[in-house]
Amino acid sequence: MGIEISADVGGTFTDFVVRDADGRIGLFKSSTTPGRIADGIFAGLTLIATRRGVGLRDLLAGCDSLSIGTTVATNAILEGKAAKTALICTDGFRDTLLIREGGKADTYNIFVDYPEPYIPRYLSFGVAERMNAEGGVETPLDEAAVRAAIAQMKEWNVEAVAVALIWSIANPTHELRIGEILAELWPDVPFSLSHRVSPTLREYRRFSATAIDASLKPVVQRNIAEIETRLATDGFGGILTFVTSNGGRTSTREVLEKPVYLCLSGPSAAPHAGVTLARAEGVADGNVLTIDMGGTSFDVSIATNWETPMHREGLIGGHMFGVPSVDVRTIGAGGGSIARVDAGGFTHAGPESAGARPGPACYGRGGTRPTVTDANLVRGLLDPKGFADGQMELSVDAAATAIKDHVAEPLGVSIEEAACLIALTVEQNMVGAIEDLTIRRGVDPRGYLLVSGGSAAGLHAAAIARELGMRRTLVPDVAGVLSAYGIATGDVRFGFARGLFASSARFDHAAVNAVLAELQAEGTAYLDRMRVPDARRSMVFTAEARYSGQVWQLTLRLPAARIEPGEGLAQLVEAFHVLHEQVYAVRANDPVEFTEWNLLAIGHVARDASEAVRAEPVGRAEPVLRRVFLQEIGGFADIPVFDGAMLQTGVRLTGPALVQTRLTVALVPPGCSAHVTARGGLMIEVG
Amino acid sequence: MAAVIDRFTMVVLRRRFEAAIREMVNALFRSGRSGVLNTAMDFSCCITDANHQAISTALGLPIHVAAIDLISRAVERKFGTDIRPGDCFANNSAYHGNTHCGDFTLSVPIFVDGQLVFHAIARAHLGDMGFPTPTTYSPLSRDLYEEGLMLPCVRIQRDFVDLTDVLDICKANIRAPEQFHGDYLATLAAVRTGERAVQALCAQYGLETVRAFLEQFQTYAEDMAVAAIKRLPAGRVTGEQRHDSEIAAYADGIPVRATLDVDPVDARIVIDLTDNVDNLPLGINLSEATVTAACRVAVLTILGPDVPRATGAFRRIELKLREGSAVGIPRFPAATSTATTNLCHVLNSLVQSLFAGLGDGLGAACSTIGNPASCACVSGTDSRYDGRPFANQILMGYWGGPGVPGHDGWLTFGGAGAQGMLWQSSVEVAEQQQPVLVECLELGVDSGGPGQWEGGPGAHLVYRVRHDPVRFTTNAGGNDFPPFGAGGGQSGGPSKAWAIGRNQERTTLPNSADVTLVAGERLESIACGGGGYGNPLLRDPAAVAHRAREGWISLDRARTTYGVVLDTSGERFRVDDAATQALRSTMAAAE
Repeated sequence: MGIEISADVGGTFTDFVVRDADGRIGLFKSSTTPGRIADGIFAGLTLIATRRGVGLRDLLAGCDSLSIGTTVATNAILEGKAAKTALICTDGFRDTLLIREGGKADTYNIFVDYPEPYIPRYLSFGVAERMNAEGGVETPLDEAAVRAAIAQMKEWNVEAVAVALIWSIANPTHELRIGEILAELWPDVPFSLSHRVSPTLREYRRFSATAIDASLKPVVQRNIAEIETRLATDGFGGILTFVTSNGGRTSTREVLEKPVYLCLSGPSAAPHAGVTLARAEGVADGNVLTIDMGGTSFDVSIATNWETPMHREGLIGGHMFGVPSVDVRTIGAGGGSIARVDAGGFTHAGPESAGARPGPACYGRGGTRPTVTDANLVRGLLDPKGFADGQMELSVDAAATAIKDHVAEPLGVSIEEAACLIALTVEQNMVGAIEDLTIRRGVDPRGYLLVSGGSAAGLHAAAIARELGMRRTLVPDVAGVLSAYGIATGDVRFGFARGLFASSARFDHAAVNAVLAELQAEGTAYLDRMRVPDARRSMVFTAEARYSGQVWQLTLRLPAARIEPGEGLAQLVEAFHVLHEQVYAVRANDPVEFTEWNLLAIGHVARDASEAVRAEPVGRAEPVLRRVFLQEIGGFADIPVFDGAMLQTGVRLTGPALVQTRLTVALVPPGCSAHVTARGGLMIEVG
Repeated sequence: MAAVIDRFTMVVLRRRFEAAIREMVNALFRSGRSGVLNTAMDFSCCITDANHQAISTALGLPIHVAAIDLISRAVERKFGTDIRPGDCFANNSAYHGNTHCGDFTLSVPIFVDGQLVFHAIARAHLGDMGFPTPTTYSPLSRDLYEEGLMLPCVRIQRDFVDLTDVLDICKANIRAPEQFHGDYLATLAAVRTGERAVQALCAQYGLETVRAFLEQFQTYAEDMAVAAIKRLPAGRVTGEQRHDSEIAAYADGIPVRATLDVDPVDARIVIDLTDNVDNLPLGINLSEATVTAACRVAVLTILGPDVPRATGAFRRIELKLREGSAVGIPRFPAATSTATTNLCHVLNSLVQSLFAGLGDGLGAACSTIGNPASCACVSGTDSRYDGRPFANQILMGYWGGPGVPGHDGWLTFGGAGAQGMLWQSSVEVAEQQQPVLVECLELGVDSGGPGQWEGGPGAHLVYRVRHDPVRFTTNAGGNDFPPFGAGGGQSGGPSKAWAIGRNQERTTLPNSADVTLVAGERLESIACGGGGYGNPLLRDPAAVAHRAREGWISLDRARTTYGVVLDTSGERFRVDDAATQALRSTMAAAE
């Protein structure tokens, strides 16, 4: 058995986790080359090979699997670098991508631009055709209009085509026919059909998912082809997988077919990392809150009883990508979040960010406005010389000047107090994001373990936990590469879906069971392809269900892979009543309607392999003292700074104290205590 | 004098109160039954203190929350000292501080340490509230007695237990009693959630700290408003706009007048509405709640996003209202069922537009007026579901944002009362819930008002009735008097609607239509677009080329209104700079 390598290609850094056959893991970070994910990956692989004292070919020859999380899809959407894509839609609905679903971020702010549609209107072609809600043909397909549209697209050098028709989920015949015409007239163009990409009710979500999917095909094909070629050249013979929006890994085949599933790839693996780490630390109830703080954003996810909820309303750049994704909330709060004071003396931090360029004032790259990183530096919490694995030196003076000019002087407080206020403000925003995911949904976070990811999140984790009434927070040894760790320990999984309307009042067992059988066959073929042994397979069937008269569906787990008349249907209906009561506190007598059938095919990783062990450090960890400004004591204090790598398992620390490793730093605030876990993490008990 | 609260506690408590309101919103959205609640989010939640100061009106529909203090005032006025924990009060009466009778408002007193400290308030627009006709707007009602069930601030719970007599009266008057009961429970869940959250907050921080915070926070809100008003130019501007009239008394339209006084030295804004017409024999009379909210919202949007949407900020805005005026405080028994839309839309936009008279780059044009026919209330029975009855408002194509300095109109704006907060129905969901087929839902070409900053377009929608007859009731506006421009901008396109027979015969529908169509017949609606802001000849030619290429505007409009000459031979339209400059000079000279 060889090594397994996992990579999370982010905007600034590519994080790596290398797992040896004996379960030992190594963590690495290398710079990302914008727009060229293969370069970032190979730079990292070369670095790993060098550190291990082998050549790249030897490293790859001994590598069983390479698993990749990549923001290539997310960034292509955000930066408008996806393919030039056209839309073929039902006549009369060219504006579906423009209208979206309504709503606006800030009611009172009318001085904002309305966003452009994902596909320009002039590249949207309405063709006469129409199905009704029951799948009946109201208007036959005008094939001549389809051919004319294709001719125009060719003339304009369109690179990909999205096909999305009203009610194609009830009857896909017209979409399929358009697909045939495209294949016949324009065999080279990649295209996506909405009922295949995301067979979901509500036209905007389906149209949007399809538009994004089609637009990603060329860029994803290009990148994957490049990675595959270079890997083959360098002697890689293992399995190449990608992390999808559902947090699991899958082969290149599925990703090439439905690249929309690459949305959120990377961050989507963080929830699993949090859960795995919590389990390894002996958390019994499976209630885990995972945060990941980067330079510009702060991601939160939750797992209750080990389950991370999925949803279908994920947005990238305001565009809904529509396919099931782990529910990760993102707000604009990170190290680069800019602080300011308003006319009434209130402090704000973010969502505006200094990004990597110019970056915080302390980077010395021309930034003059104060950021959260500047505030942490001024408070003494960051080592100016040991930042980002020693790759960058920070300027305390620049940070202090920025805070003085923009926060301290306007408020008439000291620079250090202003720095504390900036930190508090950003922490409050983070608390708000966590409350959105917990209290707002009736979940009490106090019974949860907070797992803190991100290089500097450990400076804020205890404060956040305290504000939320959470008792413990874990800063794991892998905090600096959390998503890469989630990839390394994640399952193989992919979803398959069919749209089919059914009602418990007149249930068509034959039709539903036919769909379920199709899904099962697809899932089995998939797990075969992924070489998953039988013992490690799961097939999770769900339906989107609601009471007759409702408009929002709940995701209902099916009790069985077939729904038999009588008892089988009664069980299914009862399962919905129970679910509805759990979520909304009431049950009704109305018939239950089903709009969509889904299968999640899972290949579980071997559990023992995920149990990493740590080599106990030898010798004593001697702390050094550093002057740190602490709001709790209203001034500076000399507090001990420990080298995390030198702390032995079980060592107890009493706050205030700082723990630094190569990639992370954590603060044990006054009144809190902490101990080093068997896996080398820091468990802070919040006082 | 309360202790000064440190900045840290200020930050925390502000967020805590907002979180409590968000919890209320969530409870209502998740469990509401009417489509306008669980799809369009046509409801709002708020918390006021014992002095009726609202802590945050940032969530929910502006027209719902900006004057929500009138609800807790009504409770205090009516029940005085007879208010105790476990009470809940229901109110849909414009004569007791409510917006209009379609909005069902619940409030509960929140007691801490035996004292009444707060009120939790939730306001929900229900699918049916017991109108004589199946709608929740009735623009042609002559008086209150034609507007169905009234709940004039009545107790609906005592000791946390339903007073079933009141609920029985509601259910006896409302078309869909089960749906109503579900919506009642959802609204109740919201106010009780707010009560619990605020009590927990007070227990954690102590009542004295919370009180001191409230005082300091409202002062902060006021300071922010002061700072924003001090940045405005001084001046007085008077204006008049008109709303379509459907009665003989105002054949030339119903005037809406306002005078705006901005005093940056004293940091005060006065809006005088006393010079308006008397109450009309129509449901479009405004209520005290909507006239107040419309003005506050208009001013707050101008003051900018940093000013907290709290009572403290409203202290700097003085309103002069006249009782017995259609644009003022209604005199009993004037009808007010349509008080949240039509005249309300004109008033809010008028006040915003008056700021344009103070100086360049200020104010805003008019947003859409009335609900277009695409947003009809629909009712009937559905043979696909064994004759199941339905009564609902479809919120589709409610667009037409105003052109404002620096920005074109926000597309899915939907009237000044919503300012983009409502959600649009999905075509597929609407077709599943009602036996109609939407044949088209696209923007109306050239419907946005021209300007340097263009108004948002209105929607072009066609409904076809499938198998069962469907009754459509509408409360449109902006036909004779479409949304006006400001600062030199022009008005948006007018709203229009037709019934189309099976033989394609077209019948123009009035603003306030009540029409039943049968299988194969159609209703077509073109909604009015928002007004433009600024002189169209100043619009960036590249933006004109873009909108022309995207089909929002015709080539004719690009040339004759914007003075932009385009080369349309290629994929992208190109501006002919020299020809455009020449054409614009000629046009400017002719102005």
